[in-house]
Amino acid sequence: MDFGFCLSPSSHVKMDSIDLTTFNRLKETNPDVNTCIACGSCTATCTAGNFTEMSFRRLLLMLQRGKEDEANKMIQRCMLCGKCTLVCPRGINIRKILLDITR
Amino acid sequence: MNSQIFHPFVLPFVLGMAFVLTYCFVGLIRVISQLPKDDRKKLGRSLVTPKTAWANIRDLFGDCLFHVKIWKRNPVLGYMHTAIAFGWFMIIVIGHVMLFTLKPLQGVEVEGLQGMFTNFYYPIFFKYFAEETPVFAFLMDFFLLMIISGILIAVVKKIHSKIVGVKRVMHFGFADTLIRFALWTIFPFRLIAEKTNIMAFWWLYSIDLLIFMCMLPFTRYMHIPTEALFILLRHAGIKVTEPRKGYALAELYSCPSCGLCIDACPMSVNDKMSGNTSAYFMKKLRNNDTEESQRIAETCLMCGKCVKICPLSIESCDIKFSQRAAVPYNINSDHSYLNVISTEAEKSQTNNHKPHVLYFAGCMTQLTPKIMRAMKQIMDKAGEDYQIMDENGGICCGRPMLLSGKVAEAKAMIEKNTELIKKSGAKRLVLSCPICYKVFKDEYHLEGIEILHHTQYIEELIKCGKIYVDRGDTKYVYHDPCELGRAFEIYDEPRYVIHSLGQIVDAKSEKENSICCGGSLGSFNLTQQERDAITENSVNDLMFNNPDEIVTACPLCLKTFARKSPVKVKDIAEIVSEKL
Amino acid sequence: MKENILIIGGGAAGMEAATQLQKMGLTPIIIEKSEALGGHIAQWDRLFPAFHPAKDVVEKMLDQVKDVKTYLNTEVVDIQKDNDSFHAVLSNNEKIDAKAVVLATGFDIFKAERKQEYGYGIYNNVMTSVELEKFFRTGKDERINNPKKIGFVHCVGARDVKVCNTYCSKVCCTTALKQACEIKEVFPDAEVYTFYMDLRMFGPGYEDLYLKTQKDFDVKCVRGRVCEVSEDMDGKLVIKAEDTLFGKPLKMTLDVLVLMCAMEKNKSIDAIQQKLGVANNSDGFMQNSDMYLGMNNTAQDGVFVAGACTAPKSLPDTIGEARSVATQVYNYINR
Repeated sequence: MDFGFCLSPSSHVKMDSIDLTTFNRLKETNPDVNTCIACGSCTATCTAGNFTEMSFRRLLLMLQRGKEDEANKMIQRCMLCGKCTLVCPRGINIRKILLDITR
Repeated sequence: MNSQIFHPFVLPFVLGMAFVLTYCFVGLIRVISQLPKDDRKKLGRSLVTPKTAWANIRDLFGDCLFHVKIWKRNPVLGYMHTAIAFGWFMIIVIGHVMLFTLKPLQGVEVEGLQGMFTNFYYPIFFKYFAEETPVFAFLMDFFLLMIISGILIAVVKKIHSKIVGVKRVMHFGFADTLIRFALWTIFPFRLIAEKTNIMAFWWLYSIDLLIFMCMLPFTRYMHIPTEALFILLRHAGIKVTEPRKGYALAELYSCPSCGLCIDACPMSVNDKMSGNTSAYFMKKLRNNDTEESQRIAETCLMCGKCVKICPLSIESCDIKFSQRAAVPYNINSDHSYLNVISTEAEKSQTNNHKPHVLYFAGCMTQLTPKIMRAMKQIMDKAGEDYQIMDENGGICCGRPMLLSGKVAEAKAMIEKNTELIKKSGAKRLVLSCPICYKVFKDEYHLEGIEILHHTQYIEELIKCGKIYVDRGDTKYVYHDPCELGRAFEIYDEPRYVIHSLGQIVDAKSEKENSICCGGSLGSFNLTQQERDAITENSVNDLMFNNPDEIVTACPLCLKTFARKSPVKVKDIAEIVSEKL
Repeated sequence: MKENILIIGGGAAGMEAATQLQKMGLTPIIIEKSEALGGHIAQWDRLFPAFHPAKDVVEKMLDQVKDVKTYLNTEVVDIQKDNDSFHAVLSNNEKIDAKAVVLATGFDIFKAERKQEYGYGIYNNVMTSVELEKFFRTGKDERINNPKKIGFVHCVGARDVKVCNTYCSKVCCTTALKQACEIKEVFPDAEVYTFYMDLRMFGPGYEDLYLKTQKDFDVKCVRGRVCEVSEDMDGKLVIKAEDTLFGKPLKMTLDVLVLMCAMEKNKSIDAIQQKLGVANNSDGFMQNSDMYLGMNNTAQDGVFVAGACTAPKSLPDTIGEARSVATQVYNYINR
């Protein structure tokens, strides 16, 4: 019997049905997308983050949780200044990844 | 001497020559037609303007024939190139001079088309058909031997390049190898043919010329005819607009793949990375290998050393830049949020205080608080009326965006910064980051505002007695940041400042030869490990004379070196503030 | 059986190894470069997780080695292996022959000025965890002047490619929480924040300490790495970090910022280590034979390692290793 819960809109990330095409494509050219430890340095230092919601840490998560539209919107704010790349403790080539996402 | 005016062995040469001339003519039309209209006008004007016309003549001889720039860098290679190019030029010239002074064809019935045809091959095979006078014979032999001596060096270079002071050479494919072999054998064959008059060698000589000319358009030797056009275009002040069109095309075909840029490139610390050097980029792009040329374009550090070192001054960085700009993007930037920014500069407007000096630290300097603090101390001490533009955050200067090829997006930042700077009412803009400095100098229109890097500013403060510094006995070495040194030749100002603080020792490679720190924002593709290898090499170069401290004038160089340096790395502002 | 065993380093590892070796009937000789035995631990006030005075432990250890031949202010300047003997030359020109060498050279503290964006050596009120510990021990530090807001930054010089240290320094998380509680004890009205990437409470009683910091001391743990420190007009520190759990960057004004500096390999032993043929691992610490059964052994027969010279270690780890190295040396001598 269906109690209607299946129909109710849920705020869950539906991990079973998310589309990871973009993230997987990104991973091929930038294997270091997997090495983020979510320390938030990139976000804290972000020049654009001073004025906007720009956060590379969240951007990567958005792509991994199938929120591509949100990610695409966020990335437009980036100034490519490279500070994030300079502070990343894992040495992720963030500038390159940002550039690749917009292609 | 053979008393005839024609022999079938000249046909291969005639055929080859006809082919290459046609090809070059078509190529010339193609390049010219691809130029933007304004550039074509510029070219026309430059050909009749005495100043550029003289520069054209000077460089046509200096670069194409005498290879002056190669001489300066490596005399052995200079001789090699001059011997072959100038020697060959001279035997062609002397051949023609003989034709017109000795008049071997006088009395022979050759007129009209046949006459032109005869004049075409006669000087090339003069000795087969006519007698030379002793003076001419000597000159011909002299230049022929000169060429052969050049070729001998080329052979040695091929076998063991280190003997002639070259560490890394280009790796070539079949076509380039074959044409090189043809080139090497042309002159020995000619010498043997002239001395022995054996028919087989006259044939070999002519066939060699055919091979050389037919392959010329498809190999690096295309630089021989293209170079002349390139020099004219360069002096006309034309800039690259598209990676494989017009001026860029002329540059691509002018690159002789000499490989001098390979040893010069900071990336040549290992074999794998040396494939990213300009010589390979030009080759890949010439061969229309878009994927590879794109990859190399985005790997390049954009330090500009290859351009400085290039015997032809080919602007390979400009081509790489236009290659980057040619990539389409699915998502475009949206920086409209910049319009709502209220910054210090605007506040100062309401306060009605107009500072004399506006200091723009830049994004990278936010991560090197020592530089910012030192600058404050220096400006305080000098009693300057200043304001810091980006103490509580700022807008990126636009250079990093520009480096990605996104020109329009960079413009948005440039415009906003321009507006803020103009609003401040400052008369001078002082920058700490050479990355910013480059874009401010090249792309910003800040009429009436003087743009200074802090090295220049500090030098001025010391020179005009606004600050006094104590001289110690620390041994400093100075690293020239690419965007300050090679880009704007700011070499003396930092050295003057350092000299007034202590002893300055030389790095192994200095000024225009300075090696990129490896941290450059120019490169998108290099991994941390690859950058580290470049940094280590650059640090070793700086440590050549065992300095106590490494001094630089770029926050990015500072941070990059600090990771790998055995001694302290400081910014020039920092060492000045220590000695105030 | 009175074979000499040369122990380089008189910290926790060296002292404990000497104690055990002496009990086994061997003759340990400690070479200590500083003026006193005890190493880093002697500079410490209290130990995590239970705030046990470090002095107690150090005094007991010192008492145990009072009969051990000890050279203070002395370094090994040269060492040669000849068959199965080691011939060492000391900085006082004395020569010592030994049957085995124990490297117990410990660690160095990461030099905080290398992480320039944290402002150590630039802003007055940025200090290291070692300096804070000294404050707890002596009660004196000019920088600590009834602070209202105090921040701790974890992983300074650790887990960071940008300073070439990619390893976790193991003890800083727990130390930070311990110190956070202690500063709160001294200044109950102060707000204390720690900025962490992961809180690694790996040992017995450590999680209890974490609970205590939350429950009893009201220390606020923010998950996010501090990336920039600057100074405002009043000379207060302004830090920038992302509150990664809340998902927004934050800015905060602090009176004192404490940097939890990582352990780095003690490089003053490099030359001797090289002569002994002991390599470094990828983290720059000494390479042991394997991390399970060969943790005290090196590539060179007769050369043993103990304590933080092979990796960052806590005091109990170090004491355990010092005891195990004694067994290894004993077995080696009686092989």
